Amino acid sequence: MWIKRLTTFITTAYANPTTKTILLTLYYLAIIAGLIIMYGKGDFSTPKFIYQGF
Amino acid sequence: MKRTPHLTAGIISVIILVAGMFGFNFYAESLESKYINALAPLDIQQARNGSALQRAAIQQPDLLPVYGSSEITMVDTNYQANIFFRDYPTGFAVIDVANLGMSSITMAQNLVALGPALKGRKVVISITPAPFTMGALSEQYYAGNYTRLHAYELIFSPYLSLDVKSAAAKRMLDFPSTLQADPFLKLTLSALNKPSLLTRAFYFIAWPFGELQTIVMNLQDHAAVLAYLNSHSLSPDVQHQPQTIDWNSTLAAASAEQKQHTLNNQYGVEDTKWKNYEPLLSKPIVPGSGDKRFIRDVQSAREWDDLKILLSVLQELDAQPLILSRPMNVHLWEALGVSEQAQNNFYTKLHEVTAPYDVQVIDYREYGTDIYFSIDQAAHTSRKGWVYVDQTLDDFYHDRLR
Repeated sequence: MWIKRLTTFITTAYANPTTKTILLTLYYLAIIAGLIIMYGKGDFSTPKFIYQGF
Repeated sequence: MKRTPHLTAGIISVIILVAGMFGFNFYAESLESKYINALAPLDIQQARNGSALQRAAIQQPDLLPVYGSSEITMVDTNYQANIFFRDYPTGFAVIDVANLGMSSITMAQNLVALGPALKGRKVVISITPAPFTMGALSEQYYAGNYTRLHAYELIFSPYLSLDVKSAAAKRMLDFPSTLQADPFLKLTLSALNKPSLLTRAFYFIAWPFGELQTIVMNLQDHAAVLAYLNSHSLSPDVQHQPQTIDWNSTLAAASAEQKQHTLNNQYGVEDTKWKNYEPLLSKPIVPGSGDKRFIRDVQSAREWDDLKILLSVLQELDAQPLILSRPMNVHLWEALGVSEQAQNNFYTKLHEVTAPYDVQVIDYREYGTDIYFSIDQAAHTSRKGWVYVDQTLDDFYHDRLR
């Protein structure tokens, strides 16, 4: 039921150009946020080694 | 807006993203600056493998950064500068950027990342005769201290001349295992290594992409530091406890302590390390029999080229460096067949290489015959040696070094 209401709301809102742009911006920002969460963590580790002098 | 809603939304998203990146960068830098004095005495991996904390440290007037290798980390003692000065007895503390097997080329990569922040700042470069006299830098050591961030910072630095970048690129290609996962960097290094109109054009096309990647890695570095701060309850307030250091009594105490750790041999070698030398010295060695090989090793050591790259970086970034070497462990080397005269080749070459860069160099040559300055042949600093080093650092920080 709530999905139907949400779909109706989005379809109605999408018809308005300003709201459409806002929704699209939020959509793109969500994608960017997802990418940052998935791939944003840097890897600063270095391989372990046994120091045996020179 | 009506016809191009995707383009408008895309542009707005990018603007918000860039603003967010700037905001995050500013927020992270302010936190790093606030906590750097509290972080300085801790051995944090991110301080070595990242640049954010090094950048915060170099901008802090009461912190003296010391870049170095095993001579810094080998002996666990309270005379080690980072511990000795932790309460700011004379107005400053030391932050180490040091790790076992860290070489001049790695230090150069670290320092380039500081960029203009290095201008006019004091920085100590700690070296030992070992990599210049006892063999080449192994790929294992280089890889163990290598990070992509520092490599990118050097190769895509807007503050370095192409000559220095080309020299560094040539050296970095000697360690292919570190480049396996990064064909873009490998290609750029190859382009820098073979100067021609075409490769130069490639470099300038690659530059914005490399710079963009560097920005991303710097943000990741900030995130790693913030994660560390978030998971450790640290107080940013650091107590300063001014005191007058009695160097003579400190030296006497350190010397007595050092002697307690060298009871099983006559060369001042740390007891735990003597097992490495005992078999070598149990057989008779003709005095001077190792001179020829030693001189050849000193003259041909690749580390001199790496040191030149490091010195060029310091010069081009206008830093105020102190090159802090360690003395040859004269009596131990003599026992192993290398005469003092031959050993002096190290000092001659050191001053020959550093002279064109007009930097302050301390070689502690006068302590070469003091068997308690170093704990072994590689001149790893002993407890007693650390007191001399501490005194030099104090003089350097307070502009008393001549």
